[in-house]
Amino acid sequence: MEQKRRIRYTISYLVLVLGIVLFFVLNVCIGSVKISVSDMLACLTGKDVTDSVSAIILNIRLPRAVAVFILGGALSLAGYLLQTFFHNPIAGPFVLGISSGAKMCVALLMVFLLGHSIKINSASLILAAFIGSMISMGFVLLMTRKIHSMSMLVVCGVMIGYICSAITEIIITFASDSDIVNLHNWSRGSFSGMTWDNVKVMAIAVTTTFVVVFLLSKQLDAYTLGDSYAGNMGVNVRFLRVMIVILSGILSACIVAFAGPISFVGVAAPHLIKKLFGTIKPILMIPACFLGGSLFCLFCDLLARNLFAPSELNISTVTAIFGAPVVIVILANAKKEKR
Amino acid sequence: MSDSREEKMADYYFQCEKLSVGYNGAAVVSRIDLGIEKGKILTLIGPNGAGKSTVLKSIARQLSVIEGSVFLDGKNLFEMSAKEVSTKMAVLLTERIKSEMMTCGDIVSTGRYPYTGYFGVLGEADKKAVKDAMELVKVGDLAERDFSAISDGQRQRVMLARAIAQEPEIIILDEPTSFLDIRHKLEFLSVLEKMRDEKNVTVIMSMHELDLAGRISDRILCLKGEYADRFGTSEEVMEKDYIRQLFGIDDEMKEFADARGIQLF
Repeated sequence: MEQKRRIRYTISYLVLVLGIVLFFVLNVCIGSVKISVSDMLACLTGKDVTDSVSAIILNIRLPRAVAVFILGGALSLAGYLLQTFFHNPIAGPFVLGISSGAKMCVALLMVFLLGHSIKINSASLILAAFIGSMISMGFVLLMTRKIHSMSMLVVCGVMIGYICSAITEIIITFASDSDIVNLHNWSRGSFSGMTWDNVKVMAIAVTTTFVVVFLLSKQLDAYTLGDSYAGNMGVNVRFLRVMIVILSGILSACIVAFAGPISFVGVAAPHLIKKLFGTIKPILMIPACFLGGSLFCLFCDLLARNLFAPSELNISTVTAIFGAPVVIVILANAKKEKR
Repeated sequence: MSDSREEKMADYYFQCEKLSVGYNGAAVVSRIDLGIEKGKILTLIGPNGAGKSTVLKSIARQLSVIEGSVFLDGKNLFEMSAKEVSTKMAVLLTERIKSEMMTCGDIVSTGRYPYTGYFGVLGEADKKAVKDAMELVKVGDLAERDFSAISDGQRQRVMLARAIAQEPEIIILDEPTSFLDIRHKLEFLSVLEKMRDEKNVTVIMSMHELDLAGRISDRILCLKGEYADRFGTSEEVMEKDYIRQLFGIDDEMKEFADARGIQLF
């Protein structure tokens, strides 16, 4: 039996890694300008290719694909953490309104900085997004004192999300014309316009968070049984809860700061990964959810860019089409289990 | 004075001194004094709302106590590290496990948490302890089954296996038999007795089944809301008139019971 499980885990990881490699290559090669795989390899290994091709690869598609990989993984991991935290399979940064809170603060900062003609840097965006996500998370946590049903909590999260989005809309309405185009695209979620500088910052933030989450995997494992059992096993539950809130906040903040709010990946990807592996063991799930989110987003971004080219879809449009049905399936099954 | 206290501590494995427990500073049960030796079964009985769960939660360190102290093996329980307590005390609570997609084997494995390394990977000894614990409570064949897909009786036994895998010296159980049918109740209690007799494990639990409690317990603590009313062996405690008074059974109810030959315990 144990052998069987091990084989399943290995195959699942292989599928994820191969899928990511495949969609990564597709993302670099497919677009308004088609690039052959051999050209891509030539460019990446430093051989001579035409300037335009190398510019497209190195300055546009590659940073974008890397950003999708990092942020997609971060999104899924944030979802996984929140699901563990609330013992609730449909918790996620978007569903609980955390992304929208982050969006609100980033919009405020952008409008303020643009109004004063100050250049925006990545770190300040992340910080603003982090503050925003903590505000929303604070509200959600206050709600959990009164609301214990998982679906009601999500409804509250969605409401918080709407309030934050409404405030964001107001901010955007009052922003000067030149800012609006930029803000409008971003506030709906998009991976376009990623630079290597962006990628560098998000890589550092997300990698650090990932490592810390992974180091907590044993505590998270005990926590899956609930507070009391975790406490009995010697886990400092209060510390762990604070850590989960902060870590999922940082991850959500990174995503919103760079790509805007992206819907449903945080719920759908971890769920599909849990089903694929047939376990919820954190030590397996933390890397697997990251990879799963990356794969999901690489796939969705490929569609977003190319489905109706030359115009580009919002990433959330695509993720919602594939992610929302997963949420519905989870809800339907949850009802069955409770009888 | 200090001498006699040390002597007492040496005798008792588990001891409460003037223990008051409750929520948000308001006491539910006040000034409990008791001591039991190692390898004994202590059962808490009393009407609903008398504070059985509150007492158990407090001595399992889930709830901060209002006053008083608890000594485990001569050490103040509330000054021990979480790690130390986790290798000595296992709990089985009424809290339901909400996690999906965990096999029964996974659940029992979490009992090894205090003994595994930083990433919690089970070694051979851990796997053996898990397997032995599951076989002891006769759930060995459930190892690969999904925990959410088994019956209440099986679930409770898996949770007991989890507690046993933790290799505790003392197990705290909150109404462990309440939702089991009579066969599973007996099976469950027989495992607890086995743990006591073979591994010298101390058991503290709450129960509503007075007949069973009276026969399996070495000591019984009667809680009557606000205070602990009686503490002693079942012979000392289990008197018909006393039990009637403890649970507030009035004459009308007594007549009803007597007319139909219903035994209180």
